[in-house]
Amino acid sequence: MAKRYLLVKVVSKFKLPPERFEVALTESVRRCFGEFGLARIGPRVIRFDAARSEAVVACNKEGVEDLQAAIGLVPDQAEGTVTAITTRVSGTLKGLRKQRF
Amino acid sequence: MAIYTDLHVLPRVGDDESSRRMADLLRLSGYSAIGLTLPAGLMRDRVGPLRQLFEERGIETFLRLDIAPPSRQELLRLLRRYRTAFDVVAVKCVSPAAALVACRDRRVDVVFFDTFRRNIWFNYTYADLLHGALEFNIVSDLLNATTSDIYLRLAKEAAIARNSGTKIVLSSGATKPEVVRAPMQLSALGQAVGLSKSQVLRGVADIPRSIVRDNTERRSSSYIEEGVRVVVPKAR
Repeated sequence: MAKRYLLVKVVSKFKLPPERFEVALTESVRRCFGEFGLARIGPRVIRFDAARSEAVVACNKEGVEDLQAAIGLVPDQAEGTVTAITTRVSGTLKGLRKQRF
Repeated sequence: MAIYTDLHVLPRVGDDESSRRMADLLRLSGYSAIGLTLPAGLMRDRVGPLRQLFEERGIETFLRLDIAPPSRQELLRLLRRYRTAFDVVAVKCVSPAAALVACRDRRVDVVFFDTFRRNIWFNYTYADLLHGALEFNIVSDLLNATTSDIYLRLAKEAAIARNSGTKIVLSSGATKPEVVRAPMQLSALGQAVGLSKSQVLRGVADIPRSIVRDNTERRSSSYIEEGVRVVVPKAR
C-alpha cells in the first residue's frame, strides 16, 4: 500500500516524550474518524526529534488528508497545550529530507 | 505557488511575547498574509508596532474589523463609520435581521456564525443572499467543541455552502499561538466537515487573497468605482 510521510512540527511548553505524542495522535485520529478510520489512515510515528521538536509520521496514501485534520486537533495533555503543525508532505522519506533542508 | 492567507488572526493586544510566537508559527505554517483583527477603537500608535511585528517575519498584514451588530440599524451605522478605515470588514451574525442585511450588503466582505449560539445558523436563505464569503473559523470551533453538536452544525452548514456554491473562507480564528494551523490542515479540516476539495483549496488561498486585493485597490486614491479608476498619463 502506498505511503505518505508528513513532517510535523510539535510545539509545546513542556518536553513531550515520543510515545506520548504517538498516543495523542492515535487518540485524535480515533476521536475524529473512529476505529475504521484509524485502520484506513494507519498513522505511525517513525521518527521523533525532541531537539528540533519535529516528528515524521507515516500513513496510508488515501488517509493523508484525514491525518492532517486529526493532527490539527491533537488534544491537550495534562501538562499543557500541544500544537502540531504539518509543514511538509512527501511520498518518500528521501523526498521529505530533501524538502526539509 | 499558492499564496496562503489566514484572514482571521486575533493577537492579544499588549502581549508582545504571544504575538511574536504567533507570528513565528504563522510563518512556519507557510502563510504569506493575515487579516489582523483588532478592536475598532485601538489607537494608531499601538497598531503600527503590532503590524511591524508580523511584517518583520515576512507576513503581509491587512487590518480587519469584526462587528457583531444586534440590529440592522446598528450594522448600517457601524459600516458607515468603519468601512473605509479597514481592509476587511467581517460581520459576526448574532441576530437574524442583521444577518440578512449583512449577507446582502456589498460592503461586508465576510460573514460568520457563532457555532455556540443556537438561535442563529447559516441556512439557504442566507446562502442565496450572500454577496461576500462565508467564513469557517474551523480550528477554534473544533478545538473548543465539547460535544458532537458542533461537528453536526459545521457539517450542516458545510452541506448548505456546498450545495449553494457559496464562497468559503477557511480561517483559524486564532487568539493564541496554540491555535495556529497550517493551510493544508485547515483545508483537511474543511474536507472533514464536508466541504468539497476545490472549495477548501480556494478557501485558504484564492478567495481571501482576492478579498484583500480588491479592498486594497478600492481604498487606493485612484479608485473611483467598480471598473473606473484614475489613470495618470505618462509624463512626456
